Amino acid sequence: MSWKRIKLLIWKEFTQLKRDKSMLPILFIMPVIQLILFGYVVGSDVRNLRMAVLDQDGTAVSRRIADAFSGSGYFKIVDRPTSEAELKDDIDGGKVVVAVVIPRGTGNSVKGKRASQVQIIVDGSDSRASQVASSYSQGVISNLSNELYPSAIMKRGSPAGVDARVRVLYNPTMRAVNTMVPALLAFILMMSVQNTMSQAIVKERERGTLEQIFVTPISRGEYLLGKLLPYAAVAVIQVIVTFIVGTLWFRVPFRGSVVVLGFGLMLFMFSALGLGMIISLTSTTRQQAQQMAMFLQLPTMMLSGFMFPIEAFPRWLYALTYAIPLRYALVIVRSNFLKGSTISTLWMQFMAMAVFSVLLFLFGLTRFRKRLAD
Amino acid sequence: MRLPWTKEPAPPRVVPADGDAIVVSGLKKCFGDFTAVNGIDFTVKRGEIFGFLGPNGSGKSTTIRMLCGVIEPTEGGATVMGYDIASEAELVRLNIGYMSQKFSLFQDLTVDENLKFYAGVYGLTDEKFAERRAYILKMADLEGREDELTANLSVGWKQRLALGCATIHEPKLIFLDEPTSGVDPNARRQFWELLYELAREGVTLFVTTHYMDEATHCNRLAFIYRGDIIAEGTPQEVKGVLAHDTILQFEVEDGEGALARLREHEAVVDVYMQGALVNVNIGSNSAADARLADYLAEAGYPVLHEEVVEPTLEDAFVHLVGTQGGRA
Repeated sequence: MSWKRIKLLIWKEFTQLKRDKSMLPILFIMPVIQLILFGYVVGSDVRNLRMAVLDQDGTAVSRRIADAFSGSGYFKIVDRPTSEAELKDDIDGGKVVVAVVIPRGTGNSVKGKRASQVQIIVDGSDSRASQVASSYSQGVISNLSNELYPSAIMKRGSPAGVDARVRVLYNPTMRAVNTMVPALLAFILMMSVQNTMSQAIVKERERGTLEQIFVTPISRGEYLLGKLLPYAAVAVIQVIVTFIVGTLWFRVPFRGSVVVLGFGLMLFMFSALGLGMIISLTSTTRQQAQQMAMFLQLPTMMLSGFMFPIEAFPRWLYALTYAIPLRYALVIVRSNFLKGSTISTLWMQFMAMAVFSVLLFLFGLTRFRKRLAD
Repeated sequence: MRLPWTKEPAPPRVVPADGDAIVVSGLKKCFGDFTAVNGIDFTVKRGEIFGFLGPNGSGKSTTIRMLCGVIEPTEGGATVMGYDIASEAELVRLNIGYMSQKFSLFQDLTVDENLKFYAGVYGLTDEKFAERRAYILKMADLEGREDELTANLSVGWKQRLALGCATIHEPKLIFLDEPTSGVDPNARRQFWELLYELAREGVTLFVTTHYMDEATHCNRLAFIYRGDIIAEGTPQEVKGVLAHDTILQFEVEDGEGALARLREHEAVVDVYMQGALVNVNIGSNSAADARLADYLAEAGYPVLHEEVVEPTLEDAFVHLVGTQGGRA
């Protein structure tokens, strides 16, 4: 093992990388696009939901209710129909996705400290918007009832207070982007390492340079390190950039430890390197390798908990998630990032990931040896 | 640092400088049930241009890869420049040059970067590299094009640069695996002149080719077929298998049709297309006895021209493969 030759291979890899028109975009544009897409599209809260207010009461209290909705920022009152028929037209025509109906006598009920009811109508045809709309409106109403019935809280005591606090904690604005950015650390690392590694060796075989390298004094170990180190370095840079953008631009609070996070991601990187190597060694062309990497990406994205909560899966599908290394990595990065969880609480995830990394990496190595022996 | 799957380096040892370049004994390679190379023996002397011939899939490449220490033999062994291919593979690789038909240069590196890479791989000193670089650029006619991407060079230049990279460490033995495939005749001729020059300097060349005219450039040949060496010797000796045979060459309109009919004739030993012409080996029969022209005319393939030709290497190999097939 000669460090001089490894350095030479790394120099060669970076020089080639600099000129590779298909690899460069994968390495540097993709993480940026992913940050923007996942940070803003998936991770964003729904704001300015179009709303109609049917105010049948016409009192100061009813106006205050309407103001509470528009003042929350989640709703934008675009119409004030005067009858239920007009309101129906608004919803049917897609003009609004949510409506509040304040019945006559609401103002009097509030003044008389009697129970009052407002009706929220949600357009169920857009399931995501309707879910968000109904939970947001409940939040608004609950805040409002605290304001309108201050004495009620005092009398009922703690339960009411807890209820109000829970609403704040589940504030969807905070939640989505905060869970998305830490997850992106692991996801971008995986995508980058897997994509570049899966291309790396197959490219050289396609061009015949692999054959040439192994009739020179370069050993297999040197060659492999010369491949792994540059791409691991690139991946580490990507992770750091993601981390900086996530904490500074998306303002995700970092409550964890860099050591725990780094250790977890490092373990995870080995599983991605191993998988990339396996793809590279089982494919005969670059295109084949690319398709294989893409084929693996979808189930990983769906089943790891990256986009959808795995707790909601049917039991058989949930069992399948255990086979996805990203699943464990996500628990580690999210818990450490947001809650500061330590290795002692996350040891199960660390163990699982260590097992995956060792297995995948060793399997990749044996494939590498075998491939060259044939 | 040493990874677990790499071998302990063999201690460098001095090998006699005058022994044979390659000594192969009982070399065998099996892939599962398939025997790619079936226990072959041959010797290549120093300074020789040794032609290693055979159709695709005959075991040519497998043999080369074993001799270069890339894969290990199943049985038997060989020494290359005095080093054992199994236990001293690293030393073997340090002392040989290898160039394949793919001209395995890094296409996305420049001419200079390719040279720099291979110089580094073989551990050349800066002074040595400067000297070799100047020599190779001149040899490959690439002076002034050092910063050009290798991908942009045309085939002849790539081929010469590949030869330059393979010989940057001045090996005394070079393996050339189909080095001229896909290159135009003019560039091929130029390339062979370079090889002759190397041979004059005492470098041993181990060349595979499927161009039979190139095979005649070699000092000695071995012909491998289905994992066995079925002929070995100088080009003259190999042609000697046809010393008592007569080769007829026919020009007919429909060569393929005539070929099929000739196969049915009892006087015919081998028959095959030679370009647009049909070559027929009629063994020890004489042309007059065989009356093949009349036979073809009767069958509806009038002969435009008939000639008795000198046996070539290709004729010899077709004959050898034919008799081998009969034996199998």
